Amino acid sequence: MGMLSVNGRSVSVDVDPDTALIYVLRNDLALNGPKLGCGNGLCGACTVHVDGRAVRSCQTPLKALAAGAKIVTLEGLGSKDKPHPLQAAFIAEQALQCGYCTNGMIMEGAALLADKPNPTEAQIRQHMNTNLCRCGCQQRVVRAIQRAAGKGV
Amino acid sequence: MTTTRPDIDVSRRAFAIGAASALAGLTIGFRWASAQAPQGGPPVPPMIRNNPQLDAWVRIAPDGSVTVMTGRVELGQGILTAMRQVAADELDVAPARIALISGDTALTPNEGVTAGSLAVKLGSTALGLACADARATLVGVAAKAWSVEPQAVKVEDGIMLGPAGQRMSYGEAAAKVSLSRPVDVTAKRKSPAEQRLIGTSYPRTDIPAKVFGEQVFIHDLRPADMLFGAVARPPAYAARLVSADLAAIKAMPGVVEVVRDGSFLGVVARREEQAQAAADKLARSATWDNGAPLFGGKGIFDYLLTADSETKLLHAVKADAPAAAVSHTAEYRRHFQAHASIGASCALAQWQDGKLAVWSHTQGPFPLRGDLAKALKTAPDAIRVIHAQGAGCYGHNGADDVALDAALLARAVPGKPVRVHWAHQEEMAWEPWGSAMVTRLAGGVAADGTLTQWAHDMWSFPHSTRPGSGQGCNLRSAWYLADPVPAAKAVDGPLPNGAAARNAVPIYAAANQTVTSHYLADMPIRTSALRTLGGYFNVVSAEMFLDELAAMSGRDPVAFRLANLKDPRLAAVLRKAVEMSGWTPGVVARRPLAPDMVGTGVGLSRYKNQDAYVAVVAEVSVDTNSGNIRPLRLWSATDAGRAVNPDGVLNQIDGGMAQAASWTLQEAGRWDRGIMTAVDYGAYPIQDFVTTPALASTVIDRPDQPSLGAGEGSQGPAGAAIANAVFAATGRRIAEVPLTPERVLAALRA
Repeated sequence: MGMLSVNGRSVSVDVDPDTALIYVLRNDLALNGPKLGCGNGLCGACTVHVDGRAVRSCQTPLKALAAGAKIVTLEGLGSKDKPHPLQAAFIAEQALQCGYCTNGMIMEGAALLADKPNPTEAQIRQHMNTNLCRCGCQQRVVRAIQRAAGKGV
Repeated sequence: MTTTRPDIDVSRRAFAIGAASALAGLTIGFRWASAQAPQGGPPVPPMIRNNPQLDAWVRIAPDGSVTVMTGRVELGQGILTAMRQVAADELDVAPARIALISGDTALTPNEGVTAGSLAVKLGSTALGLACADARATLVGVAAKAWSVEPQAVKVEDGIMLGPAGQRMSYGEAAAKVSLSRPVDVTAKRKSPAEQRLIGTSYPRTDIPAKVFGEQVFIHDLRPADMLFGAVARPPAYAARLVSADLAAIKAMPGVVEVVRDGSFLGVVARREEQAQAAADKLARSATWDNGAPLFGGKGIFDYLLTADSETKLLHAVKADAPAAAVSHTAEYRRHFQAHASIGASCALAQWQDGKLAVWSHTQGPFPLRGDLAKALKTAPDAIRVIHAQGAGCYGHNGADDVALDAALLARAVPGKPVRVHWAHQEEMAWEPWGSAMVTRLAGGVAADGTLTQWAHDMWSFPHSTRPGSGQGCNLRSAWYLADPVPAAKAVDGPLPNGAAARNAVPIYAAANQTVTSHYLADMPIRTSALRTLGGYFNVVSAEMFLDELAAMSGRDPVAFRLANLKDPRLAAVLRKAVEMSGWTPGVVARRPLAPDMVGTGVGLSRYKNQDAYVAVVAEVSVDTNSGNIRPLRLWSATDAGRAVNPDGVLNQIDGGMAQAASWTLQEAGRWDRGIMTAVDYGAYPIQDFVTTPALASTVIDRPDQPSLGAGEGSQGPAGAAIANAVFAATGRRIAEVPLTPERVLAALRA
């Protein structure tokens, strides 16, 4: 039995400490934001924030989390009533097709903007390069990040 | 924290009422009236012919609430937003007030599969007609009650208003008339001028939920008591199980059941990761007979050209033509390519009293139900398939197969819902792939620059082996059961849609034309529909060949196309894309090598020769030291007739270009003796942010023209434009897709 801080709440989970965080978030805590994609850390669909850093929850066993680590998922980033600027920008730019990668795009993009509030397009593309979108919405995602950064369209 | 549980009914009640609360009180089980076209009347849209009852499409409750049903399903292409626009416009009801039910064998019309860029073209045509008929019927009730002409009745959000201030709701009118009758195909749809939502970029209705992490995807379904299933895969497609220690696996943590049925092996466990660990161990510890090597050990293109194939002349035009001043033949090759969805296939199944409910992201709930019934040896009406969204599929991936896996595993734990979510590597190894192909073209050009001859041959495995095709069962695990149900014999789809030969009929006015297919129905590596089927590579081949003819006749590729095009809409999109790109006319020729060579190329097609017209111009740079091609910019112009949602069309066109750039430059399947081995994004890279080119696209709206399928329109022209830009940059042709650095270097050195 261990305690986790998820989206500002303390929750207890009773699972093997080798279990990847993605399974706990999705199956034990019924969170939909982080998606299980490639399972190898190559696509970014499972991205969450741990203490403000974007991490791949499919590659993060529970035992690797520091005591008291603060986990934030897409649900905790913002809500319909109080959206994160990047969530609002994704709607404004219609920056997705199927939306399966969207969690990772927003969580990774939000981490970029927290670190670098006014990134150039080249910096955005470089930072986002290991987040994959098979529908081919890369350009719309870039525009959404630019919009949230107060730039571009 | 709050743990939300989905409101899903997987109990027996799921068979009696809808999953959506909006459907409470509706009974299911439509009686399909026999379809008849009225004598001399307007043509019956195909989807109405298959689903003639009006209340199969639209229902009005006494309280005025509106339920619209479509057999089409959301694949990330925005189709349900487009359907809502169509229904809201035709019914004069606020779009947010419409309950839209999609892809449920118990509740919606059977529209086969959502594929082939047909959803708007066929699906919205049928739904729009049904909604127009419903509106006219309800207005007729009010007009009669008020003794006025129907034209005098206005409708505002489902409230009918008469000239003397009378009011009647749709709900009141619906109580006085039955919609349980065949759709009146003479119903008049609104003219473009009367439409308020159709033709606008109405925001996608599914995007907010996806952006805030609401429960949207099949992967998010978590009914109470759900268990997790996983399949223990053989090491080769042809492998058969010799023995397995099921007891050892059953003793693993969390394992509830171990299932063996012939060579089908799987586990059910309490936790997802436990199911996967147990299935992995089961697969590795079992003893398999691996079967024969793939392609008899031959190279794939050698195999395609030499194995038994069925040769068919599909298209022939003969006419007098001037003598050819230039004659040319060429061969092009394309490797196997994958859907490579970001989210692997997933399904949820539950058996209860011999009945099965399956949640699936299939493209065809009804065909899936039919094939499930064959594999499970049960009656189709004992199975209900309910669509739930998955990750983008781009064709026939593992979506249907995993539904059978879930059903087979759930059968071992009756009453319990079982979710199976394939591993990504499992998806890549076991999903159907897009077929490798060889094309050969022959052509001639007269001294005046007109085409005299055009012959297009292609060698290909099947491009459509979906469920619902013929007598067999096209769900993979059915082939491994103790009492197997083999696959249906694959049949190549006829033109004009075509499958292997899609888009092989030239868009150019050559005096003499042939299209010949060489079809290999037996497929050592299972192939099926990958977005555009054969269309992508036939367009790439034809457009590469056309540029070679232009170069050999000393002509600019754009001018050469325009001189040989008959269709003004094709010429219009070509001119538009060329104008956007700032095209500089010129003749492609071998150029002396420089470290970095930049070129511009064009690609043009009309999808399936009957859908969207798309022209693409590409600019690429070729690093002649590394052989690396970098696509810099793509410009496109699209004419999809009446665009129901122009931004939706743009999103599809742009996404198709980004995907096609990846296909064209880097994607190729690899296999060992018995199975695909490039099964993760390391070994099979797909498009990313750095390599995806800048995209600029325009839709030429033609409100007076019927809507044309657009979702797959840009793949062929984009691939062709990139390949032709490399040709223009270097003057050398790389004839094998993908255009990898090794092939570029080999062409540069030749």
